[in-house]
Amino acid sequence: MAPSTDSEFVTIVSNDGFEFIIPRSAACVSGTIRRMLDPSSKFPEGLTGRCVLEEFSGIVVEKICEYFCYNEKHKDQVNVPDMDIPPELCLELLMAADFLDT
Amino acid sequence: MDSEIPLPPPRRIRHRSPAANPSATGAVFSSFQRAQRLSRFDDRSSQPSSDPALFSSDDIPASGLENYHATVSGAGRKRRYRGTWWGEQVIDPKRKRADFKDKRNVDSGVWMGSDESGAESLLASEDGSAWGEDLRKSVLDPRKSGSTLFLNETENVPAQTRVAFRSPEESDAHRYAREVVSDCLDKGHESIDLGDFHLRSIPSGLLRPLQHLTKLPSVKEAPVSENVFTSLQPFLHIYLPNNSLSALHNDLFELSNIKVLSLRNNKLTGIPSTVRRLIALEVLNLSVNQLTYLPWEILKLMQQGELKHLTVRPNPFLPIEEAQIAEWHCKSTNKKEVENYEDSLEEDSSPPLQFQEQQSSPNEGWTPIHVATGPITYMNMEGNPMRDSTFRNRPNPIPSDLALPINNAPSLREVALRAVSKLPYLEQTTDEELAEYPALIVPLLQQAREVRAAGGQSCSVCRREYVIPRTEWMEWWDFTPCENGMKMPRCPGEKLRPLPFQRFGCSLSCVPESC
Repeated sequence: MAPSTDSEFVTIVSNDGFEFIIPRSAACVSGTIRRMLDPSSKFPEGLTGRCVLEEFSGIVVEKICEYFCYNEKHKDQVNVPDMDIPPELCLELLMAADFLDT
Repeated sequence: MDSEIPLPPPRRIRHRSPAANPSATGAVFSSFQRAQRLSRFDDRSSQPSSDPALFSSDDIPASGLENYHATVSGAGRKRRYRGTWWGEQVIDPKRKRADFKDKRNVDSGVWMGSDESGAESLLASEDGSAWGEDLRKSVLDPRKSGSTLFLNETENVPAQTRVAFRSPEESDAHRYAREVVSDCLDKGHESIDLGDFHLRSIPSGLLRPLQHLTKLPSVKEAPVSENVFTSLQPFLHIYLPNNSLSALHNDLFELSNIKVLSLRNNKLTGIPSTVRRLIALEVLNLSVNQLTYLPWEILKLMQQGELKHLTVRPNPFLPIEEAQIAEWHCKSTNKKEVENYEDSLEEDSSPPLQFQEQQSSPNEGWTPIHVATGPITYMNMEGNPMRDSTFRNRPNPIPSDLALPINNAPSLREVALRAVSKLPYLEQTTDEELAEYPALIVPLLQQAREVRAAGGQSCSVCRREYVIPRTEWMEWWDFTPCENGMKMPRCPGEKLRPLPFQRFGCSLSCVPESC
C-alpha cells in the first residue's frame, strides 16, 4: 500500500459507516482534519488517510464534505454564492463547524 | 454665552471668506478646550444643532389681543415658519388647527357606539391592544370627561384593560408617549413630537402602528382651493430629542417613510446599521449624544439615498488626530505633511486637511470625500479579533495565525448560521429554549437571533448578508456641505472635518480597496 500522505484523496467516514472520498486539499479546509492528517503528528489518520467522524451521521458528513468542496471551489472567488443548507441540518452543522474548526 | 445665539450671517457671501469673522469669536475660541473647539465652535455654519424652531408670522394686522373676536377676512390663521427667522421656509401652510368648537363637541359626556369619537378609535387601530387603549383613552381622557356620571360607572374598566393589555409596570412616560402616538394616528398628523418625555427606552409596539398612519385630507371649508390637493402619502417626522434613550428599538427602523428623525440630546452610544432601511430619510439629527463613530450605512444614505441634512456634532467622535490611520486618501500635497505629522506624534500639529479644487465635475464640492482609512481588524471564525491582526501599513498582511492562504469562502459556521437566521421560528425562541441546545452553539444562535431581530446586516463591501463579521475598520469621510443643512458647496482650501464611520466586512477578503 502506497504511503497515504502522498495520496491525493482522503476518506471521511461517518459514524454509521458512510465513506466519502474527497480531495486532500479540500479536507484540509478543516483545521481538525488538517492536524489529523498531518504526518508529523503521528496520528493513525495521517498514515491511513482515513478520518472517522464518530460524532456525525452520514447525512451530516455528506453536507460537511459538500461544504469542503464548496470552500475549495470558491476560495479564490470574489463573489461567493451562498451554499444551500437544509434547515434541519443547520444546528448539527454548527456543532460540526465547532468540532472541525472551520 | 452670547456667542451661542446664532446671528444671521450676511446672505450668500458667508462661506466664501472663512477668515472674515474670527474676531468676534476669537476670544471665546481660545479659552475653550480643544475638544470643544473641534466639536462645536469649529462649526463652519452658524446653524445651531437643535431642531429648527417654529415661528409664526405677524402678517395679519388685526390679530392682536385687542380685537380678538374680530373676524379677519380671508386669513384665518398665521403662517408658520420652520427654522431661523431669517430663513423663509413656510411650513405646511395647509394644515389647519382643529376648530375650537369641534374639539368641544366631542365631549358630550355620553359615549355611544355610533359616536364619532368611538368610530374614530375603532377605525384608527387594527390590533386588539391598541383598540382597548383607544377606547380607554377616548372614554376616560381627563381632558374630555365633562360629566362624572359615566366615569363613576366605569371606574374599574381602566384597571381591567390595563391588566389585560399591558404590563402593570409601564412607566408614565411610556403611557404618555403612547397617547401622543395614538393621538397622531387619530388625527393623521405626520409629525410626532416625543421630545422631553424622559424616555429611557422606546417601548416595543410604540412606534409600530405608525406604519399605518393615514393622512387626512384637509377639506373643511366650502371654497376648495387648488392647494388642497396634496399627496396623502405620509412622511413621518419623528422628534425624540431630550430623552434618555441609550438604545434604539428596531421598530423605529421599520418605519421606512420617516423623513425627519431627531435624536438630539439622548444617551446613544451607537447607531445600529439597520438605519439603512430608512430610505426616505432626509433630515437626521444625532447631536449631543455619546457617539464615537457612525455606521457606514449613514454615509450610504447620503450617497445613494435622500439624506441631505445631517447634524451630528457635538458628539465625542474619535478625533482623526488620535486615531491610527493606515492610508490617507487626501490630495498629494497633504501627503508630505501628513507623514511629517505621523513622525512627530507628540507634536500637537493637526494635519492640515484641506479641500482642494479638482478639475472634475461641478458636484465635487458637494460629494463626501474619503479622507482616510483606519487599520483593519481581522476576526476569526467566531468573530473575535485575531492576535496581532491590526496593521498600520498597507498592503495588509494576513495575520500570522491564519496559516492558510486567504480564503474568500464563508466558514461552515457562517454558512450554517446564515441558514439558521433564515429559519422562521428563530425570533420566537426564548433564552430558556436556547439553553437546551449544546452550550457551544448557544452564543452563536443568540447572535444570529440578534442580527435577525435587527433586520439582518449586510457586508459593506459585497453587500451579502452575514452574521459574524470577519473584518472591521474605520473610514474618515468629510461631508461638510451636508452637515447642518448648509447651502453652499465646499470652497477650495477649506478645512476638512472628517467623521469616523465604522465598516464591517463579511469575509477576510472584504477589505477596503486600495487606491
